[in-house]
Amino acid sequence: MSPVLYYFLSLTGTNILMCWSLYLPYRVGQLHFLTVACMLASAYFSGYAARELSWPFALILIFGVLIGALICLIPSFTIGDAPCFTVVIVGLTVIFIFKTAVENIPALGGTIGFFGIPEVKGLLPLTYLLLAGAGVLIYKIDHSRLGRAASLVFVDKATAAATGVDIKRLGMFFQIIAGGLAGLAGTLYAFLIGSLFPEFFSLGIIGTFMCMLFVGGHTTMWGIIASIPILEGMQLFLPSSVASWRQVIYALTLIAIVLMLPGGLITKRMLINLTAKMFNRSDTGKASGTIDKCIK
Amino acid sequence: MEVFIAQLLNGLSLGSMYVLLVLGFNLMLLVAKIIQFAYPHLVVLSMYVCWGMLKYTSNVFLVILASIGSCIAINIATEPIFRLLAKRHGLDINVSFVVSMSMTLVITDIMSHLLNYGFPIAFPSKWIGKSVIGFGLITFSSGQAYALFGGIAAVLAFFYLLYRTRQGRVLRAISENSLLSSIIGIPTIKTRVISYAIAGLLGGLTAIMLSKMLGSASPALGDFVGMKIIATSIVAGLGNLKGGLVCGLLLGITESMAIGYLPGSWSNAISFMMMLIVMLIKPEGLFGIKA
Repeated sequence: MSPVLYYFLSLTGTNILMCWSLYLPYRVGQLHFLTVACMLASAYFSGYAARELSWPFALILIFGVLIGALICLIPSFTIGDAPCFTVVIVGLTVIFIFKTAVENIPALGGTIGFFGIPEVKGLLPLTYLLLAGAGVLIYKIDHSRLGRAASLVFVDKATAAATGVDIKRLGMFFQIIAGGLAGLAGTLYAFLIGSLFPEFFSLGIIGTFMCMLFVGGHTTMWGIIASIPILEGMQLFLPSSVASWRQVIYALTLIAIVLMLPGGLITKRMLINLTAKMFNRSDTGKASGTIDKCIK
Repeated sequence: MEVFIAQLLNGLSLGSMYVLLVLGFNLMLLVAKIIQFAYPHLVVLSMYVCWGMLKYTSNVFLVILASIGSCIAINIATEPIFRLLAKRHGLDINVSFVVSMSMTLVITDIMSHLLNYGFPIAFPSKWIGKSVIGFGLITFSSGQAYALFGGIAAVLAFFYLLYRTRQGRVLRAISENSLLSSIIGIPTIKTRVISYAIAGLLGGLTAIMLSKMLGSASPALGDFVGMKIIATSIVAGLGNLKGGLVCGLLLGITESMAIGYLPGSWSNAISFMMMLIVMLIKPEGLFGIKA
């Protein structure tokens, strides 16, 4: 496999996981950037455990997921039902604190970066296997009572509370699952790429994830799968003079999508209509209008 | 004791800059109902304009005019985007945050690619000025003096405008209830544009004073200041102007004290940690949300 294709597939896999980790808390209306801090912590933990402590990969993977979930668990006791904007700033603040910590700890490579993470054989297929597992989990959550409760919280918190939804516990649940996914993404990223730089975990990467989430469509888990290969491919296959303006392209695309297609490229309505056509279910199509209104 | 006094002076100068930025940010939040995350980035862009003008002219008036003018113009130029956004999504501050965050990426990338080849800029020593007071460890540079006294003057002028003039009453009326304000005949769009202009003016002034105080700037400065300003706004209570005043000053002093007494770049992490603790304990802010 060519290095470009390997790089493309690796980043696509980890980015899908990261965007799903943003998608889940956004189901209850929270932009949970703390997941980027989880990714950072798990990636550095994995790199250090593999290179310095020679831990086996499977153990590192489990700990990576647990670290991500734990980082999200602690603040979730207070921000489980906090307004979106508070959640955003808590996330950005923690990212900055973690980044400063990494930059000031020589054992983690400081500002220069952390190199020499050992290679794991067959990791790319394993990444996509884990990705499929994560996809099944999110699909199950989406189509469960929790998923329906999340849709209600997104539309109207007061109504959700009135119908008996425990908004805080629901928010906490989504945040912890998101942390675990981000932890998994961080561990896989560390092993797939083989080096880590604190500068990677900045506002730029958050903007990239946001673009992938909103361009694909934040109302379904499938939009991300459509948008990430396009946006990643654009970066890798465009001429370098254009690709260096990647952030600007992402940002302008995001602004245009938010203004013109608020639901993104793939919306829930679109999927429901598609399912109705495929299985010739006329009733589903009618219901989609109501669902679309609820979803926004 | 000398270290303490020196850091207190530093903190007050830095804090007055934070106060100006928090006020501009909160004004747009209250009147236009937007989270303008790109506001500190616009300030840094104005610093670049100031630096660029200093290369071509030594006329201080022109430099100040260009710097403030650019900040006002670019800030007002973003207004139609947010207005269109409000039409499509209603006054949803979260969506405005997503769009303004995209703007930060555009501004940062433009500075990284086109201005000074992405390298940090340094202002000429003539612009920064010499030390005004020097006593032991205590040095108070002219840049700090401009920042402190200029900051105080700008804050006083801002509060005078807001609480003692007709325009201020209009701004406050819209911030309380924009629908009722439009019913009684207040031109809401014009007033919103004015709020962008006032925020731009505060941003431009901050850019001038920051350039004198720091003596340098880089594309990453916007991200750094942006996070601090927004975290301070939340700690104070979103949209709470008086809270912003207190918390902005406190942030400046805390940060300076941390720099004076703690090693390396941990000081920034400590001030962020403090803000994080407050946000987690009191998500609605110390002084209560007004937005």
